[in-house]
Amino acid sequence: MRPDDLKFQQTHEWVKIEGDTATIGITDHAVSHLSDLVFLDLPAVGSSVTIGESFGEIESVKAVSPLLAPVTGEVLESNEELADNLDWLSEEPFGKAWMIKVKLTDTSGDLMEAGAYDAHCKAEG
Amino acid sequence: MAIDGALLAAADAPTLRLYGWQPHAVSLGYFQAIADFDDLPAETSVVRRATGGGAIYHGDELTYSLALDAAALPKELAASYALLHDAIVRALSSMGVRCHRALDGRMSARPEDRWCFAHPVQGDLMTDRGKLCGSAQRRERGRVLHHGSLVIQRPELTPFVAAIADQVSPTAELRRGLHEAITREIAASLSMQPCHGELDERESRLAADLEREVFGSEDHIARR
Repeated sequence: MRPDDLKFQQTHEWVKIEGDTATIGITDHAVSHLSDLVFLDLPAVGSSVTIGESFGEIESVKAVSPLLAPVTGEVLESNEELADNLDWLSEEPFGKAWMIKVKLTDTSGDLMEAGAYDAHCKAEG
Repeated sequence: MAIDGALLAAADAPTLRLYGWQPHAVSLGYFQAIADFDDLPAETSVVRRATGGGAIYHGDELTYSLALDAAALPKELAASYALLHDAIVRALSSMGVRCHRALDGRMSARPEDRWCFAHPVQGDLMTDRGKLCGSAQRRERGRVLHHGSLVIQRPELTPFVAAIADQVSPTAELRRGLHEAITREIAASLSMQPCHGELDERESRLAADLEREVFGSEDHIARR
């Protein structure tokens, strides 16, 4: 079960909004389709992320994919341990595998509740 | 690299591009550190790909890029590689070159693997001399860019690669035939009819922007 206090993007990023701070990661569905991850690139603290634009890159079995920001804001924290512990993404995609924390300026992106995201994943296969 | 980036972002139709390299150059995988290549000969040109994997020395080779909607390929990465690589096997076979798709071995390259061709993985195209074709993908926003490098003559800098010239003479006729066969077989594998085309105005403009802002920029090439 995916935590029901998260919101989701069609491109399989999750976001947890608490006050004016958002924690962002990628979902179990994304991780299961990527498999065998080798590299992760996350933004530096203090940089900006923008809804729908890339905030990082991930490389899996011979494919690089961008990570697309579900919200706009300034990066407060970047999970620096994650790049050296990519197994965490399979083990706890919604926990210790969080990627960045952002001070929010815009949350107007197209985000789904957990139920709608489940249906989206089923439709994608 | 910039043209491939433009095709990934903007091509209206599935687009196969066949090209070579002048000057010959090393392309780094997206995540590779340029410091790991400070032993290259001083005059070597270096670019950074949008796709992952290890570095490739692009000497006398036929490079292909395919940009299309992800929905046109099998969803699973390994299956998409298998579809395209089997098309390349058929194309090469029609030109008298034998190779096969590796069915075992590691699934993917490791961060410490410097050269793409020195570390074959499952699905790669092999001959009894080694790896003949290096390939990698970038996937974003429902689109796929698939890169492939087919070695025609073995470069001095990467003597571990297999080459088409190990099996057949690299004549102009062979090179023309390879273009035709690869176009035909990749189109067939996608159940499409190939037609010749040029970059349109929008793609050309985007490629120029990407060249200036990304792929031609020293900051991008030395970003890691």
